[in-house]
Amino acid sequence: MADQLATEIIGKIKEHAEPGDEEITVTTELTSLGIHSLELTEIIFDLEEQYGIEIEMNTVDAWSNLKNVGDMIEAVRALIAKKN
Amino acid sequence: MRKRVVITGMGGLCGLGTSAAEIWNEMRAGRSAIGPISNPALHDTRVASGCEIKTLPDHGVERKQLVAMDRFSLLAVIAAREAARNAGLSIDETNTQRIGTIVGVGVCGWEVIEENYRAILLEGKSRAGIFSVPKAMPGAPAGHVSMSLGLRGPVFGVTSACASSNHAIASAVDQIRLGRADVMLAGGTDAPMVWGILKGWEALRVLSPDTCRPFSADRQGLVLGEGAGMVVLESYDHAVARGADILAEVAGSGFSGDASDIVAPTIEGPERAMRACLADAGLNPEEIDYLNAHGTGTKANDQIETSAIKRVFGDHAYKLSVSSTKSMHAHCLGASGALELIACVMAMREGIVPPTANYREPDPDCDLDITPNTARERKVRAAISNAFAFGGTNAVLALKAV
Repeated sequence: MADQLATEIIGKIKEHAEPGDEEITVTTELTSLGIHSLELTEIIFDLEEQYGIEIEMNTVDAWSNLKNVGDMIEAVRALIAKKN
Repeated sequence: MRKRVVITGMGGLCGLGTSAAEIWNEMRAGRSAIGPISNPALHDTRVASGCEIKTLPDHGVERKQLVAMDRFSLLAVIAAREAARNAGLSIDETNTQRIGTIVGVGVCGWEVIEENYRAILLEGKSRAGIFSVPKAMPGAPAGHVSMSLGLRGPVFGVTSACASSNHAIASAVDQIRLGRADVMLAGGTDAPMVWGILKGWEALRVLSPDTCRPFSADRQGLVLGEGAGMVVLESYDHAVARGADILAEVAGSGFSGDASDIVAPTIEGPERAMRACLADAGLNPEEIDYLNAHGTGTKANDQIETSAIKRVFGDHAYKLSVSSTKSMHAHCLGASGALELIACVMAMREGIVPPTANYREPDPDCDLDITPNTARERKVRAAISNAFAFGGTNAVLALKAV
């Protein structure tokens, strides 16, 4: 079951994906999205403003640890939790 | 003996058309693509005329690469793909490391700079777009061309303002002569129809209020345009071995620096570059039938260029055909030399000298045969293409028929 954060992030990813791509779920591999890795990073940064969080993330480090959409969601969730 | 380097493919796009063939058809017909600027994002600029590409061709560049490109990179990639197709070049694992690209850039990727200043300073955004650095850098077009075509040989950008294309092409010829590559895609690109750039040019007060009239007594300045041009260069032996159609030979190149003023040109700098080019090419002045002038349409350039041509060519200056195709495609800055190379190659292949369009009144200071308004049939054995630039960085290319 996708929660609100997951739905929101997947929604943002869809805005940047090629139309007609397969359905995006938490198990979708980031490399299969057809989205430039920097563009995906920018999607996360957009969430900073939305949730008032500071994402202390070095782009290179981030991408070496994130494999699928679920990893991306959990990374953001952890940052939000840390802030609260 | 040094390696002979030939041109086996061309690609280009500018206000005149979105392929080298379309561009040449318009040049041959003497039609100017200069007109009112339609880009609505120019805000309060007073620049009235320009030469825009109204509609890009169907380029097939995938979205993932497209989001990382500023317009000047996209134009270069479109031109490079056309040139590679035109040359019948197949790039695969066996040859990829022997093929490279050098792309001349006069400005940089300015659209992203513009977007960022507006977003941060006017709209209150807190950060710049994540692609700002890779989009703006002048080496980006070369990188994108290499990614788009899979070129793993020498890849870099070259910059010398309005002479960038000629320096890029000459530099690519050198890579082949030095044995670093068998094939090189080279040319130039720029997309300056952006508010910040036009405001800068507006401040210089060198832009014409209507159109570009090189060598005409009533000329009022240059007109800016956008575009890209790329050619496929390869060693003569390589071209023959793969059965390629050889379009022309790059006979030589010549460079000089004015070392005088950042904007005002000298007669001596251009003169030395043309002399050096003829010497490098092993051509006598009398062997040149066509000279594609830098011919920006400013008072100073056209007069000084005429004087420099006379010094180099002597009596032959009045016998060779001269023209400025900037009268038709405007000054596309870093792309100019590559677009003008299309004119030189096609002039040799078809025996037709493209004209200087928009010409109205003879100027006694510009009294060469500048091929006014109408193309002229003439056998062209060899041609030279001038490019002079702010900074006094001059580069001249010589081509000859094969």
